[in-house]
Parts: sequence; C-alpha cells; structure tokens
Amino acid sequence: MSKKVDPRMPKEVGTGFYPVKSPWDKMISYHDAAHYVQRYTNIVSAAIMQAFRMLVPDYVERSKAMCTNAYNRLSYVYNMIPGYTEMNADQLHMHPFMRGNFVGGLIGDAGDEDLLMCGRVNDFGTYRAEKELDVCYWDIIGTELCRSTTQSLQACADCASRLRPDGPQIEYHMVEAKGAGDRHCRIVAECRKKFPMPEHEQWECFGPVATADQIKDTKEEDTVSESMMFREECDYLFSNGTNMEKDWRSAYPMVTMSYGASYILPTLDDLIREGRLTSEQVDYAIHCVCEAAGKATFIDDFAKAGLRQWLGVPYSISADDGRLMGGYLEMFIQSLHCPYEVEAFNGTECIYVIDRAALANNMPKMVNAYVWFWYGMTKSLVNAQWSLWEEDSPEGKLRIKIAKKVDKFC
Amino acid sequence: MYQNVYKYDEMKRSEHMAVRKTVGWYLWTHQIVEVTGGDCVKFLEMMFPKNIGNLAVGRERYTTMLDEKGEIIDDVVVFRMEPEKFWVSTLFRAEMFVWFAAHKGDLDVTWTDVTPQWEMYAVQGPKSLEMVNSLAASPVDSQKFFEIKENEISGVSVYINRAGFTGEKLGYEIYFPKAEAPEMEKKLRAAAEALGGKEVTEFQVMAWTLPTEAGFYYMRDLRHTNPFEVGLENGINWEKDFIGKEALMKVRDEGPAREVVGFTVEEADVHIKGRHMGNEGEFVYKDGEYVGRCMKIVYSYVNEINNGTIIAAKGALKAGDKVLMHGHEAVITGTRFI
Repeated sequence: MSKKVDPRMPKEVGTGFYPVKSPWDKMISYHDAAHYVQRYTNIVSAAIMQAFRMLVPDYVERSKAMCTNAYNRLSYVYNMIPGYTEMNADQLHMHPFMRGNFVGGLIGDAGDEDLLMCGRVNDFGTYRAEKELDVCYWDIIGTELCRSTTQSLQACADCASRLRPDGPQIEYHMVEAKGAGDRHCRIVAECRKKFPMPEHEQWECFGPVATADQIKDTKEEDTVSESMMFREECDYLFSNGTNMEKDWRSAYPMVTMSYGASYILPTLDDLIREGRLTSEQVDYAIHCVCEAAGKATFIDDFAKAGLRQWLGVPYSISADDGRLMGGYLEMFIQSLHCPYEVEAFNGTECIYVIDRAALANNMPKMVNAYVWFWYGMTKSLVNAQWSLWEEDSPEGKLRIKIAKKVDKFC
Repeated sequence: MYQNVYKYDEMKRSEHMAVRKTVGWYLWTHQIVEVTGGDCVKFLEMMFPKNIGNLAVGRERYTTMLDEKGEIIDDVVVFRMEPEKFWVSTLFRAEMFVWFAAHKGDLDVTWTDVTPQWEMYAVQGPKSLEMVNSLAASPVDSQKFFEIKENEISGVSVYINRAGFTGEKLGYEIYFPKAEAPEMEKKLRAAAEALGGKEVTEFQVMAWTLPTEAGFYYMRDLRHTNPFEVGLENGINWEKDFIGKEALMKVRDEGPAREVVGFTVEEADVHIKGRHMGNEGEFVYKDGEYVGRCMKIVYSYVNEINNGTIIAAKGALKAGDKVLMHGHEAVITGTRFI
C-alpha cells in the first residue's frame, strides 16, 4: 500500500481552518452541516436504541432507567461544576426576582433552538409554561427518549431554582411528542398546587395535564423549519422573552454534543454498573444493530448516486473505490468538528486518524458504534470486497482503514 | 381552543387587581451595579443619553443605554446614592459589565455587582403608602417620586424608593439586606393582608399585565429599537457626548422609521405571538399590507380585553385602525390603557 494522498482539494481539510468541504472541493454551509450532523448522530442513536430494546425488552423498565439517568446526569452537571448554575442564570437572563423553577423554561427554550428543534414559547409564567416544537431531529429514536428529555429539563429547572428565592415548583410534561407521531413536541409545565393532578411516577411525564384547554396548537401552515438564528424574520438571532440573544455560532457546539445516544449510552452504563447488564452484552448488541443499520443505508443505487452528487465525486472515481466511503466519512467528521488527519487517500486505501475523545463525546462506546455503523455502510456503499476497520490506533486516536479485505468470519 | 391564559385565571386576576384596588407586594429584585470613582459622573454621562451629573443625592432617573448605532441596549434607572456612588438598576448586568469595560478607557471608575447584598420588594397600589407607613420607622408621605431614602423597618436599615413598574400613582420599592428577606416577607405579608392586599406571585402579572396597562416596556420590548421609535427621546441631553449620539441625531433629524402603537383584541381566546415570548412577533397587516410586528400581547384585567403593542412603520397606523394578526382583528389605540 502506497499510503499516498491523491491530489484533492483542499489537502488541509480537517485542520480546522476550513468550512465543511469534501475531498473533491464540494463545500457545504455551516447551516447545512449543523442540520446534517444533528440528524446523523441521531440516526446512529436510533440504532443504539434498538440495541437497548433488545437488551431490556420492557418499555417501562427502559423508560424508568432513562428518566432516572437523565435527571441525575443533568443534576450532576449543575451540582458538580462550580459556577455552572450561576453562569447559566446569567447567560439565559434569569432575573433575580424570578422565584421557583419555571426558569427551566428558559433553559429548555434556548437548548431547543441550539439543537435546531425550532418552535415557539406559547406560555411562560410562574405556574404554567408551554413550549411547542415543530422540528425534532431526535424524533426517530423512540418515545423512551422523549420521556427522558423531559426529565433532563426537569433536572435543569430544579437545579436552577436552588439558586433562586423560594417559589412555586412546576412539573414538566411532554404532552405531545414528535417521536410518538404527534405533529409537535409540546412541553406543558404546571404547578401542582395551582393545577392539581394525580401523582405519577417519574417516567409517566407524558401528561395528561390540567390545562389542556389552554394549549395553543400551531397549525401546519404556520409551523417553521428553522431555528430563529437561521430565519430572516428573526434577524438571524435567537431571542427569548428575557432579552437573551445569540446567533448561529451558539448552535454549533450543541449540535455536536447533544443527541439521543447521550441519553441512551449513559443509561446503559448505569445498568452495567448495577450488574443488570454486562459491558460485553451491550457491545455485542450495539455491534449487531449498528452494522445492520449501516448496511441498510446505501442499499439503493439512487442513494449512492445522491451521495456522489453531494460529495462532488468526479466520474473518474468508479463505484469500486473506497474513497467514496472516505469522502462520506470526512464530511461527517468535519461536521462534527472532530479533528482528524488523512494518512492515505487513494484508489486502494483510505486511512484516517481521528481524535478519539472528540468522537466519543464522553461516551467510549459511541466510537465503536460509529465504526460498526461505517463498516456496514462500506459493504453497501462500495461493495462487499471492501471493509472498514480500526488498525494500529495511536494513543488517544482512532485509526480507521478502508480497503479491500477478505474475512472468512465477517 | 387557545383558551386565554389570563382572562379565566382567578389567581392572576386577584393579584393584578390587588395592585389596582388595594395593595400588592412582590419580590422585584433587579441587578444593582454600583458605580464609584472620581470619574464616575463623567463615565455615566457618556454611557447614558440623559443627564446624570445633575441628579441630587437620593434622586434617580430612568434612561436608556445605547450602542453606537443609537439602538437601545438596556433601559435602566440610575440612582445617585452619594456624590460619587451611583446604583444602576438593570436586568442586563453581564452585558453591561462588558459594555462598561469596553468604554472605560483611562477613567477613574469602578463598578461592582452589589445584587447579592440586597433583596428588593415592590409595594404598589392605592394603599401602598399606608402599608409602607405601617412598617417604616419614619413616614414616607413626603417622599417624592423617584426619590430613595434610608429608613428602618423593625430595626433593620432599609432603603425605600418611591417608584414602580405598575403605573400606580402610589408605589414603593423597599431594599432589604438579603439576610433579612425571609423575616421581612412575613411582615410585608401581614401588613398587606391587614389592608386587604396580597402578594403578587405570578411573573406574568408583575412583568407583563400590570406594566402593559400602564404603557411601560419590559426590556425585551426595546431591543433593536431606538429611543425615537419607542417614545423615550424626551430628556436626552444633546449638548453632551454620549454613546450613540451621532446615530441618534440622524434619527432625530430624519425622523424614526418606526413607532410603537397600542392595540386591543376583543376576541378573548386568540393565538397571537408577541415578541415578549422570544420570537419574531406576529406579522401585522392593515388592508392586506404588512405594517409591523406584535411586540407583546397580554390581558388587561382593568379593561377586560387583550391589549398590547405593535412596532409599526411610522405613520402606518392610527388610533381606530383595524389590523389583522394571525387572522384575529385588533383595533389600534394609544400605548397606555389605564
């Protein structure tokens, strides 16, 4: 193998100085990259959720585990990072006179917008809040996730309120969920002292709520598809009711950091710690599912044709060429703002050395999930003679090789 | 569908009307930036378009803070606590610190966030004077509007400021040392109840329904506007230098492009987006033509009608005009509703 890097533009791709660009000089905007990476990570997350479902077949058990983890994990962030709560309050403009945990609405609203889950706040008060989303890139993963995101919001709200004067506590419910097939995601939060409802378990945070008649449902024709920071009528600025403003630059860190797997994998870690699952069981299930999901991605010729167009692949690159997979990978890794180097890029092999920590996003199992996913993709995007595997990774790096390989046990 | 979140809510109604009919009290702590130093007057004169140096000790002034484009960054109240010590009451402290730092230069001025030392309670309504007098060691009858004075409540040193964000003729703001707040709340509660008043607990009442009836702005309303567009140009000292002056003079000479008008919507249960919730604001159409955006829409418990404000093209709307917002008819009014 030559390890040579064929002429490609720009050679410096991945050094962090360029926008997202394919090896064949096809550029995509930050806007498109943000959308792409958010959807991509959640496709992989959807596969990981299927592994979770195989490992823990009971819906309630899964939901409980995810809700517990989400609440505790977010609480940990607030409680263990010195100054985080104060910084959060400052950034989101929680005013000093705001009592109680309804300020959580400000956290959820800004987070939604960063994650491109656009919509609108319909109500924001001490005893009731309502937020409606028109878009959710996490909507293909499963309703267990929808439930657990409600609990992460609840945790943020509860923790934020500890810094504040005593006041009413509100309970966050996701009364509609795009993940459940609803037109919108809708969070309605109510104070139970003002709006009593029967008690429920933590995972049952899907309603019903007492103020269903106050819901403001936005009709299909009035829905939006972009966050405020990408909309002209908003002057390309996200704003909340307390005069916090930010532009699209705030979105990028979030779209690369937060996705469905960041709720699922930590839950699986909990179950491993508790002895309910073993790490090997979890790895095996994720391997099987991610490989299958990857194989299913490019089963159709039109999918391959679309990819070639998207990457700007020249006609000189045939269908039997690993650079197709390499170019595809680079677009994602760049969109993820994950540092990497190109060690080889030619007709016989592509080798990438990727920053493992950046790819893992604090979840070591995420790296293997990607590798298994990409392995499966290679089989259908190129052909079964081709493979993708990890080989000779330096410390802290993931060294990926794409080449032809015979494996009698694959 | 779209049941009005204000109209049928008896809790909000009773809190709002306590302020209008008797007395309402509530936690209303703002961020307090204390500005000191030999050049503090010079510095504040540059930061704010209204006069600061001519404030007497114990007096205060409402003013905007502008950027170089003449757009409002914040609206604040500046108190002169001592000859060279000012308080700036804001809800925009983090940004203000950055802004101040960017313009300090070589001036002898420092600023500190003293918010953690204080808790402020608003006491508002026709019986607020009676309520404050029932608590304070020295009667406050002679205290002027926008005057802050030291006083004492149950042996605790406090500041009492005659001011408010409700439009009530009588209203006070009491600054307690933070540690005393829990005990003081009990005293405030008892004093209010003795007069038939109550605590206002709903954010929407203190920030939106009460101020909107009175034609006041909550800071979000003002973002990306200039003082001429929102009617806050009075009192600007054109003789001094201040940030944003050049741009604002151009607006003054050429006239503002937009203006704020009020509106009411008779239909109770409507779905109209106001920018006060953090969005683009509902588009406003007159005779099918786009004329502006909805700044906010809340409910007037005094007038029993939805009310709010629109930022519209200058001259496009006049009182009595009918406009459409999300298909709902609104009637244009002035910006004060009571």
